[in-house]
Amino acid sequence: MKAYKVKEIVTTNLGKGNPVFVQVLGICSTLAVTNVLKNTLVMCAGLIFVTGLSNLTVSALRRYIPARIRMMVETLIIASYVIVVDLVLQAYLPDIARQLGPYVGLIITNCIIMGRAEAFAMSNSAGYSLLDGLTAGLGYAYVLIIIAFFRELLGSGSIWGIRVLGPWWTNWSIMVMAPGAFFMLGLFIWIVKGLWMKEVKKS
Amino acid sequence: MPEAGRVRKGVGTVLFMFVITLIFISALTLVNLLTLERVERNRELLRQRAVLYSAGLSLPESDVETAELFDRNVREVRGDQGGLLFYEVRPPGQADPAGYVVVRGDPGLWGEIETSIGYDPGLERLLGLDFIKQNETPGLGARISESWFREQFRGKRGPFRLVPEGVESAEDEFQAITGATSTSNAVLDILNRSIEEDLPRIAAERGKP
Amino acid sequence: MSEAWLAFSIFFAAIFTNNILLTNYLGMCSFLAVSREVKTSIGLGFAVIMVMAATSALNWLVYTYVLVPLNLVYLRYIAFILVIAAFVQLAEMVIERLSDVLYAALGIFLPLITVNCAILGASLFMVIREYSFFSAFAYGLGSGIGWTLAIIAMAGIRQKMARARIPRGLEGAGIALIITGFMAIAFMGLAGMIRI
Repeated sequence: MKAYKVKEIVTTNLGKGNPVFVQVLGICSTLAVTNVLKNTLVMCAGLIFVTGLSNLTVSALRRYIPARIRMMVETLIIASYVIVVDLVLQAYLPDIARQLGPYVGLIITNCIIMGRAEAFAMSNSAGYSLLDGLTAGLGYAYVLIIIAFFRELLGSGSIWGIRVLGPWWTNWSIMVMAPGAFFMLGLFIWIVKGLWMKEVKKS
Repeated sequence: MPEAGRVRKGVGTVLFMFVITLIFISALTLVNLLTLERVERNRELLRQRAVLYSAGLSLPESDVETAELFDRNVREVRGDQGGLLFYEVRPPGQADPAGYVVVRGDPGLWGEIETSIGYDPGLERLLGLDFIKQNETPGLGARISESWFREQFRGKRGPFRLVPEGVESAEDEFQAITGATSTSNAVLDILNRSIEEDLPRIAAERGKP
Repeated sequence: MSEAWLAFSIFFAAIFTNNILLTNYLGMCSFLAVSREVKTSIGLGFAVIMVMAATSALNWLVYTYVLVPLNLVYLRYIAFILVIAAFVQLAEMVIERLSDVLYAALGIFLPLITVNCAILGASLFMVIREYSFFSAFAYGLGSGIGWTLAIIAMAGIRQKMARARIPRGLEGAGIALIITGFMAIAFMGLAGMIRI
């Protein structure tokens, strides 16, 4: 693997091509699971796993997939890995599986995975595709973890289920609910873009 | 492309889809078979823990001990058609029942809530409450599974009313969850409905062998 | 509660109190991307209504008569998404042949819909909540209408805001999310009216 290409994949997926705050993909799950940090981590692990492996598989099969049914095959591959994640969760982490509910299944329609499969895996070798999938998942993960940290802290006064803010803190319940998610993500994008524009202006 | 070539291409596409679907489904079936036993065992264990907890018994550490405790001390009482009505729970080593546990499914905000409710032998007070299955909003309605919420029911008697979270509650009241009004109301309905429907049934059936 | 009344309350709730976009956060990607103009939003919205209603019903049938009897429930994700993909493909072909006007209005949006998480989400929720057939169809139809309502409202707001001065960092997705947040709060006011 060429070093410069590896670097390019990594920096794009984590930074200037970040799936969440630059491409604005995968928003549904970002909003849904980030009110509890623990669930977020499990979701991210699942997504990194699926994105990496589906990119790998799509890339390995890319010369054999007929053009017409390209999307259906990609969907089949993605759905299969998601089912594996679902079964493993139910078998070994049943409590978390119950909390994530339908959102595990919604990894399938997470635009990031389909996006990477179409944009990268269909036209690159297996090794790079795997890396691209994993880094795209990581780019997604760190954004979600930051948002989840604040949502759980402000909304439930806890981190990872452990109460850290004392009784003086009144929970901002709205942070745990839908609007809180929208506001936090919007704020996050504002901060990141604002910092970027300052950098661009400086240079 | 000539007609024959088009047809062949079309058939090739369908064949590919069919074959690849078959391959993936076979792989998934394998994974399913490997995990099936564990998933079933988890489900069974969850139910057993809920029943024991609702009857006020202390839960052992290991899964094996829980299953043993359940087998030894819990008796299923079935109706005439063979359907499960409720569980009769005896404390370890004693002959008289510690209480009766009923497991019921009711609608919550997002989906069905499966609750196990334990009543004392006098059928007046609650021994405990546990949620076997619920799909309520994580961080809000789903907090009904938190131990503080479930613990508050021990020793209370219905019919119930709600009080806000953090407020002292009388023996026929319980604290709702702030921001989870619908789910809290759903739990209220579950309890009051159970008192109305299940207690007479337990009273009628419990004497029978 | 009678079957018809239950289905109707689910229908009503799916539009307002349990709006699939504002309460369950599903269908955000296309929502954020397309909601700049009211006209395109209406087109996409109608396509979504059609697909969601039809696939909810179809998936209920597949689940009840194929997956459950054959013990293949663990394959539901694949089954549902393939049904959705196949239906969308079919619908696109039929509409293309049937009417140019209709195709121009909503046919072009159909490929976008296959990956709309709201469509799959509606089917998954219907299974979790163990709806009957009529309730499932009512839920799919209502969710589609609710989603369309949200996207048209959003497009209307964004069109009006085109003249407003927004901080540079918030332009685009940022402000769209904040607006959606306020819309979600507004719809929260309707919560508890119906329990489905």
